[in-house]
This record gives sequence, C-alpha cells and structure tokens, in this order.
Amino acid sequence: MTLPNITLADFLPLLPALIMVVGASILLLSEVFLSSSASRGYQAVLTVATAVASGLTALGLMFEPPHAVFLGYGVLDPFSSFLTLVVCVGLALAALASVSFLRKRGAERGEFYALMLFASAGMSLLAMSAEFITLFVNLEVLSVATYALTAYLRRGTRPSEAGFKYFILGAFSSAVLLYGTALLYGATGTTKLADMAGPLSQALATAPALVYTGAILVAAGFAFKVAAVPFHMWTPDVYEGAPTPVTALMSAGVKAAAFAAMVRVFLTVGKGMDPHMPLALFSTLALLTMVVGNLLAIPQRNVKRMLAYSSIAHAGYLLLGVAALFVTAPGEHFRILGASALTGGTPLDVARSDALRGILYYLLAYTFSAVGAFALVSALERREDEDKGTAWDLERFSGLAQRRPGWAFAMTAFMLSLGGIPPTIGFMSKLLIFQSAIDVGLVGLTIVAVLSSAAGVYYYLRVVVYMFMRPVPEGAQTLERSWGTEVALVISTVAVVLLGIIPGRVSEWLAHAGTLFGQ
Amino acid sequence: MVPITYYLLLAAALFCMGMFGVLVRTNALVVFMCVELMLNAANLTFLAFARMHGDGIGHVSAFFVIAVAAAEAAIGLAIVIAVFRSRGTVNVDDIRTMKH
Repeated sequence: MTLPNITLADFLPLLPALIMVVGASILLLSEVFLSSSASRGYQAVLTVATAVASGLTALGLMFEPPHAVFLGYGVLDPFSSFLTLVVCVGLALAALASVSFLRKRGAERGEFYALMLFASAGMSLLAMSAEFITLFVNLEVLSVATYALTAYLRRGTRPSEAGFKYFILGAFSSAVLLYGTALLYGATGTTKLADMAGPLSQALATAPALVYTGAILVAAGFAFKVAAVPFHMWTPDVYEGAPTPVTALMSAGVKAAAFAAMVRVFLTVGKGMDPHMPLALFSTLALLTMVVGNLLAIPQRNVKRMLAYSSIAHAGYLLLGVAALFVTAPGEHFRILGASALTGGTPLDVARSDALRGILYYLLAYTFSAVGAFALVSALERREDEDKGTAWDLERFSGLAQRRPGWAFAMTAFMLSLGGIPPTIGFMSKLLIFQSAIDVGLVGLTIVAVLSSAAGVYYYLRVVVYMFMRPVPEGAQTLERSWGTEVALVISTVAVVLLGIIPGRVSEWLAHAGTLFGQ
Repeated sequence: MVPITYYLLLAAALFCMGMFGVLVRTNALVVFMCVELMLNAANLTFLAFARMHGDGIGHVSAFFVIAVAAAEAAIGLAIVIAVFRSRGTVNVDDIRTMKH
C-alpha cells in the first residue's frame, strides 16, 4: 500500500482556517481558568486579532497560482482566498458588535467567540472544497456552529425558537444536498469535482434522470442555505430570533460561503449538461428571490425582520450573477461593457470572469453594509423589549439624528448602500453584477433586478426618514456607547463610503479574484 | 445477490418518508428522527453505489456522514431541550411566537 503524497505545501491554503481554529481553542481553554466574575474583555479583542491575522494570510494567498491541494480534495485559488477575506471581515465586525450585546445580557463567555471562529473556519474551508464529502463536512462544521450560536441565549423564548427552526430546516437541507450528492456519485463513480466532468457527460447519455435528480437536489440544498425563494421560509424567523451579532455573521458569512460552494459545484456539474438547464434553474431562482424578497420586506416595521427579507432580496441579485455564469450562447446584443474587455480572451470568458468578480464584490459590499446595519440594530435594542417584540420597531430609530448624529449618519450610509445608491459600495457592486448580466444578454432579468431594487429603496429610506424627520419619542432611554460597536460602525461606514468612491486596492485584488481553479 | 435497484428503491422510499415526515409531523423529536432517516437514506445510496462501482469512496463517505449526523444530533437535542425548558412543549405548531 502506498501512502498518498501530501506535502507541507498542501497545508498552506488551510492556514487561515487553522489560525481561526487555534484562536478558538485558546478561547475555549482560557475559559476553564476563569472564574465566572472575571473580566472577559480580552475575548473579543483576541477574536478580532485572529480574524485580522487570518484575513491577512488569505490576502497573501490570493496571489498564489491556482492549484489543487490534498490530491484534489481541495483547491487554492484567488476566488476562495478572496472569500476567506470576506468571511474574516464579517467575523471581525460581528465580534466587535458582540461585546456590548453580550455584556448587557450577562452572557459574555469564551464559547460564543469560539463558536464564531469555528463557524468562520468552516466557511473558509467550504470555499476551497472541491470534493463532495469534504464540502458536506465543511458545510456541517459551519452549520452546527451556527445552530449553537443561534440558540446561544437559552433563557429567552425567541433564540431557542429561532435555533430550533434553523436546526430543523438546516439539517433538512443538508440531508437533501447529501442525497443529491449520493446520486451524483452513483452516476459518475467519483465525488471529486475535478474527475467528474468526463463521467458526467457519459452518465448523461446513459442515465440522465439520475444526474438531473442529483443536480436538482444539490441545488435545492444550496438554495436553502443561501435563502433563495421558495426555500426562504426559515430566514425571517431565524434572523429575528438569533442574537443580533449572530444574525450579522449569518447574513454575511454563511451566505457568502454557500454561494462560493454553489458556484464551484455547478460550474463543474453544469458542464456536461444541456446549458439551458442550469441557466433556467438559476434565472428562475433569481427572479423569484429578487421580487418576493423585496415585496415581503416592504410592509415590515420591524427593522431586524426587514433586514432579513432584504437579505433574501440580495441573494436574488447574487443569483442573477450566478445565472450569468451559465450563459453559453449569448444573444444578438452581446457586447462587453466592462473595462476588462481590454484584457483579452474570448468575450464569453471575459464576461464569465466579470460575473465572478461581481459576485465576490457584491459579497464584500453586502458584508460591510449588512453587518454594519445589524451592529447598529444591536446597539439600539434593549433586552426587556425582546419578548414583547418591540425591540426592533421602526420607532426605535425616531429622532436618532438628534440623539446620536454619528450613528444616524452610519445607518444612512448602510441603508443607501443596501439600496444601491451612489456614492456607496452597494452601488458599485450592483453595477458590476448588472453589467455582467447585460453583457451576456440577460437583459430582461436585469431590468427586473433594477426595478425590484428601486422598490427596495422605499423600505431602506423609511429608516432614514424615521431617523432624521421624526421627533425623539418621550421617555426614550439613554443610548449607551460601547467601544466595540463604535469601532465596528466606524470601520464599516468608512469602507461603505470610501470603497464606493475609490475602490483602489480592492479592485486590484478583485482583478485576481475572478480566477477559479479548473475553469 | 439482491440487485442494486432494490437498495436504491428502498433508500428513495426512506428519503421520501423522511421528507414527508419533516413537513407534516408536529412533534419536534419525530421531525428530528425523520431528518436522521433522510441522512441514512443517503448513506444507503452511497453504499449501494459503492458496491456497484466496486470502490471505497462510498464506504468512507458513509462513515463521515455517520460522524456528522452524531454531531448534529448532539446540537439538535440540546436545542430541543432548550425549547422544552422555555415553553414546556416540543410541539412544532406551538413554537411560533414570531409573526409571519
């Protein structure tokens, strides 16, 4: 028997995840030696430091040439490294917002931050998985940690309810995905994405039903994870009931990692198929998700729930980008609007790598804006109102501009960015996605996207109206400041505005990040 | 030897039963068992195909799935206990404080 040839270089791509796991282990072990009244302020700092170290490592890895590692069970490519960077940004901001949130509830424990780190390690690994079982295990690493985080505040009724719903539907979707994987394995005899393309086209000739059933089940599993309509039912309840910093991490990290895995899987699985199949699948999902997400968000007075529906809508815009990846025969009006038309390659390759870039930039933009918005929501809410359900009402935002002008300004920036209004990062990222979709000829779908995002502006701007044009309600409680939330708000506001005006270095990194291994 | 189709049909039946159970049953523990049923249907499919292809990947996959299912069960039961402590019931229909 020969041992597989695994060298030290194979461990290099794991470095960001390893750093996070080490940080999590330190937090878990240090908790053993602390008395229950000991100061735990260092824990958030340690988490942020770990996230920064891990993010910088990922940034360094982005410039490595794409290659397979661990005998093809994983890949290191700029796409996965950029995604790890996005996850680290979300993790750091969510950890900063957790400080005062946990302190107010007397729930400051190392386990919370450790679980966040484990979940992020799972997200990072999921982005680089290139084999179905590896993918399933990493998906579960991040899911199981997030289930525990959702139900972390055991005493309230809402977190346990949210945790329960998330767990049941999460486990259900994992099982669906796994069964789809088993069918694809049966059709091709391999679980590695790299080896799958050849056997897949043979299997499509002999047993097409098996392949299509498998692919559809895998797609349904992913659609649950990214909260695409019609698999979105769990999202509002889970996002509302989960502790707000966890909601922030969920909306940014879990979604980003699931999108990355979905793109990687379907670019391979979709290859042998009739190209109309994946295109039709993702276009339909995108259309439903954009329209339904925005329509359901409009009547919401609960800001946290509104952000949950808005996250569904944003998944729709991202799915538009995914659909653009599967256009193989562009229509009449095919032309390249993007700047990368100058870099050469066939028009379709250019358009595809533009779409990949659009997806990644959108994920980064959404991370900054949504995590910032959730951080502000967590700063305004009070524990006592949670069971009554008024903790996140729009009234909370009344007159915020007079009480805390800085916060009101930050929230305005996030809302404009989520709505896709210049000069914010949200505008730039929407522009990239819509442009790449038009480049490949998905004009109709893009028009729907633009119209539904215009409808979205209504509910985003309503928050701004409440902050600036409503009087401060009588008997409003004093708003406590905490360093963690302030730092998170400053960083995300600066990023949202600055990256919207001068993308600078980020666009340079992004130029690399459109490269996917084996494509 | 039993033909592979029988195994696959059994697995598909188990999967559908599990899926149906998750969607219609109201007791949280039964719902939870149905999810396990779905995971094991996937396992059976993996094993049947592994035998057909005559390779080891399917077998190894089943072990990974068993390990993951165990971790999921631990978290899931803990959450069910938390729900029971805060409400005194594990009926899915009663677990809806949040408005739709």
